[in-house]
Amino acid sequence: MLLSDRVTGGAVAALGAAAAYVGAQLPPVPGQEVGPAAFPTLIGLLLILCGGLIAFGVGRSFEDEAEAAVEESEVAHGAPHAAPPTPLRSLKAALPPALLLFYVLAVDRLGFVPTTFLMIVAMVFAFGGRWRLALALGTIGPVAVHLVFYKLLRVPLPAGLLPMPWS
Amino acid sequence: MTKLNRRAILASAAGALAAPHLALAQATYPNRPISMLCPWGAGGGTDATVRIVAQLLERELGQPVNVINRTGGSGVVGHAAIAAAAPDGYTLGILTVEISMMHWQGLTELTPRSYTPLALVNEDPPGIQVKADAPYKTLKDLADTIKKSPPGRLKASGTGQGGIWHLALIGWLQSMGLAPNHVAWVPSNGAAPAMQDLAAGGLDIVPCSVPEARAMIEAKRARSLAIMAEKRNPQFPDVPTVGEELGQVYAAGAWRGIAGPRNLPEDVAAKLRAALKKVYDSAGYKEFMNNRGFGMKWADGADFAAFMDDGDKKMGTAMKAAGLAKS
Amino acid sequence: MSTVLEALRMVAAPDVVLAILLSSIYGLVVGCLPGLSATMATALLVPVTFYLSPIAAIATIISASAMAIFSGDIPGTLLRIPGTPASAAYTDEAYAMTRKGRPELALGICLWFSAIGGIAGTISLVAMAPLLAEIAFSFSTYEYFWLGIMGLMCATLVARSSPVKAIASMLLGLLISCVGMENPGGVPRFTFGLTDLLGGIEAVPALVGAFAVSEVMRALLQPEPPKLAHRRFGSILAGQIALTKQYWKQMTRGNVIGIIIGVLPGAGADMAAWVSYAMAKKFSKEPQKFGTGHPEGLVEAGASNNASLASGWVPSLLFGIPGDTITAIAIGVLYMKGLNPGPTLFTERASSMYALYIIFLIANIIMIPLGIMMIRGTSHVMRAPRAAIMPVVLVCAAVGSFATGNNLSAVLIVAAFGIIGYVLEANGYPVAGMVLGIVMGSMVEQSFVTSLIKSDGSILPFFDRPVSAILAAMTFAALLWPVAIWLWGRPKAAKRAQPA
Repeated sequence: MLLSDRVTGGAVAALGAAAAYVGAQLPPVPGQEVGPAAFPTLIGLLLILCGGLIAFGVGRSFEDEAEAAVEESEVAHGAPHAAPPTPLRSLKAALPPALLLFYVLAVDRLGFVPTTFLMIVAMVFAFGGRWRLALALGTIGPVAVHLVFYKLLRVPLPAGLLPMPWS
Repeated sequence: MTKLNRRAILASAAGALAAPHLALAQATYPNRPISMLCPWGAGGGTDATVRIVAQLLERELGQPVNVINRTGGSGVVGHAAIAAAAPDGYTLGILTVEISMMHWQGLTELTPRSYTPLALVNEDPPGIQVKADAPYKTLKDLADTIKKSPPGRLKASGTGQGGIWHLALIGWLQSMGLAPNHVAWVPSNGAAPAMQDLAAGGLDIVPCSVPEARAMIEAKRARSLAIMAEKRNPQFPDVPTVGEELGQVYAAGAWRGIAGPRNLPEDVAAKLRAALKKVYDSAGYKEFMNNRGFGMKWADGADFAAFMDDGDKKMGTAMKAAGLAKS
Repeated sequence: MSTVLEALRMVAAPDVVLAILLSSIYGLVVGCLPGLSATMATALLVPVTFYLSPIAAIATIISASAMAIFSGDIPGTLLRIPGTPASAAYTDEAYAMTRKGRPELALGICLWFSAIGGIAGTISLVAMAPLLAEIAFSFSTYEYFWLGIMGLMCATLVARSSPVKAIASMLLGLLISCVGMENPGGVPRFTFGLTDLLGGIEAVPALVGAFAVSEVMRALLQPEPPKLAHRRFGSILAGQIALTKQYWKQMTRGNVIGIIIGVLPGAGADMAAWVSYAMAKKFSKEPQKFGTGHPEGLVEAGASNNASLASGWVPSLLFGIPGDTITAIAIGVLYMKGLNPGPTLFTERASSMYALYIIFLIANIIMIPLGIMMIRGTSHVMRAPRAAIMPVVLVCAAVGSFATGNNLSAVLIVAAFGIIGYVLEANGYPVAGMVLGIVMGSMVEQSFVTSLIKSDGSILPFFDRPVSAILAAMTFAALLWPVAIWLWGRPKAAKRAQPA
């Protein structure tokens, strides 16, 4: 999701404007001259300023230098140069947060081990791993994590459909 | 209260005779581990209290009692989880004074009445701490200084805006006929940083509980002039009460108590109350509380409910006076 | 002398020795799992300490937290997933070293200088506790305000990117720190009516999301990097002695800064590493090498990090005032075990006190052999395929964020920050700056508002107290310096850009 500085700078400025607007609405607190509105409003204004500077390309030169230095060292060590992903392929990046959301929604019903099993299998495939790795990691990983966290550290991981012998 | 309890036990006993198979299920409560929710993080005072209670309760009930810290939302999340649990006696929790404050600010719908009260196990009255080399030697000196000084000159801190020690200060000022903001409140992240700032000379008064100030008092950086309680704390016998010093009693404090969700079956509640009473009276609990300097206060069932209702009203009055309440 | 012998006897008790050993291993393992923080490792020990003797209980906390802080550098170095807000300061540097094919060197630096920092901090604790306490007491909210501002300014120095974007990320972090009702006004802000946001957004889940989850997201889009050549590294320590000789000045400065910042409650270890890394860069002869896998900054930040961890115990032990989240938990354990913090701990229970000192030293010494084993073991991770590592990272992120408060909303925060971190990073906004903003935000606002309340609205005390005047002068100097450099360097950079 590489966007131009104009777009991100604009987004930063817009966020700043929203923060300043919402922040300024906060009611004052009796006995406090500088109320809860001051800090968010100030940050909002500074964000507008920063966003503007970014959109107009101030400070860009530093970034080019930094990138050049890092790339130099990478090329020297044979790291492949990542081709910019196509928009469709970059949707793949949404998988990890989506799986975390799935965890939140499913863990109480399915239980810890089945939920994380599904997460791991999905991730292994997303990385182009084989069935055998997916099954092995998906079985051993959740059970081991459950054993350590539930039994030793007493974290109440939900049992759900598949209670472990120690829970 | 004991009468009510006894009646409840009799009633359940009568029920037991009438329906033997039901009685079997009830008589064997608890027959699996109990979860005890704590709305605050591991390592804090509430966490320590609930852990000692859980450990001793485990011995009384013969089933594991697991403490679970359910934090977040400034305590609202944990309190909500206790209220929303199934009323079967297998999920209990520790309530803290915040339950009688947060609903006034419109932060939650929960009130002390959203629970089945089981036992009040602790109350820590606010103390009135000043810097060790402060000019006032007694509470009366301080009260006179406060009355003479222009509003807002003196500064106090000990918790966030609208926190329990802020409300205690407001209550005390009002009992002296002063405006709630006569002493300016400086919000802080708890008693410890406030005590540090008191010693650094940034504050005049810290109305936190005496155990919270203990280390600084022992380090001769601060002094405690009085506690806002009806009786002296046997742990700190040299600290008088506000009543002794000024003639007018003002008492309010931070408390902790064990409760379950609303509509806990009466026989389960009775069994838990009896077990908690034994826990409270045990040497282990006394030793622990004395060691930490926490105040012991007992009330079960209806007394605990009345205690919370009374506190709830006091908090509401103080918060409205200070403009902290929503409505 | 007899108290020291008594203390040695207490530490030599079998249960204490076992507690130190087991909790050290526990700290190392939990700390090195990506997504699990040192704070979480410590919090999860509290129930265990309930069943231990007082000295053994506090030994578990000391050893586990020291190990977990070092161990948090391991995923930071190998996978670019820092374990603590403090190590976020130098994660990019350490990771750059890994990309150059020298992960052992980076980890060796973290280990060696952490141990030295820890020992220096402990010595300061033993020798100068009352003196250091005086420093803490000369800091009122005015001084904290300047300290916070100076901490925030490190954001531009730490990242190799456009300073404007670094400041924007830092401001974003400050805005995030506004969420919730833990602000001076006690008013819910930006909570959108959600109960779970009332307590604000904590630094650790945000850190886990912005680094661990966004790293997994990036990895999904990039081709598998080539395997590092399998080579047996020589002694991890040998190189360190050379580095100690070369950078002894930076090391000492890191130790001193770490000790001073560590004793200030609320600033703590989180800030020490940032300030030290920024200092190292500022005073370096070769600042252009920073961020490309240069050891100098790592030496200073590592030395500072663990020194502040040890000196953070000064206000905790003397006055019961926690320096950071870890000592806050430790104070709870001390109280629970009847070792109430306060001067009586130093007088009436001096032998227990010495026992704590000895445990500190032991923990920092055994950190070296255990840490070397850990480095040797975990460097195999670099040879495992990503398809095996990344799924585990994701599960660890979920469990780790859930475990501290048993609250599923923390997992949602991790997911949200994964997206935020990914978008920021892809567009050249340094994520570390945002983490710094989140960590420092409430301190800056709190100290500013409370200072104004205390001074009845006057800003004079921000400048006329001796310590605050010095800090203010330093802040303005540091603030104006880069602007001057930038104005001066701009024509040159433009000239260089033209022929390209």
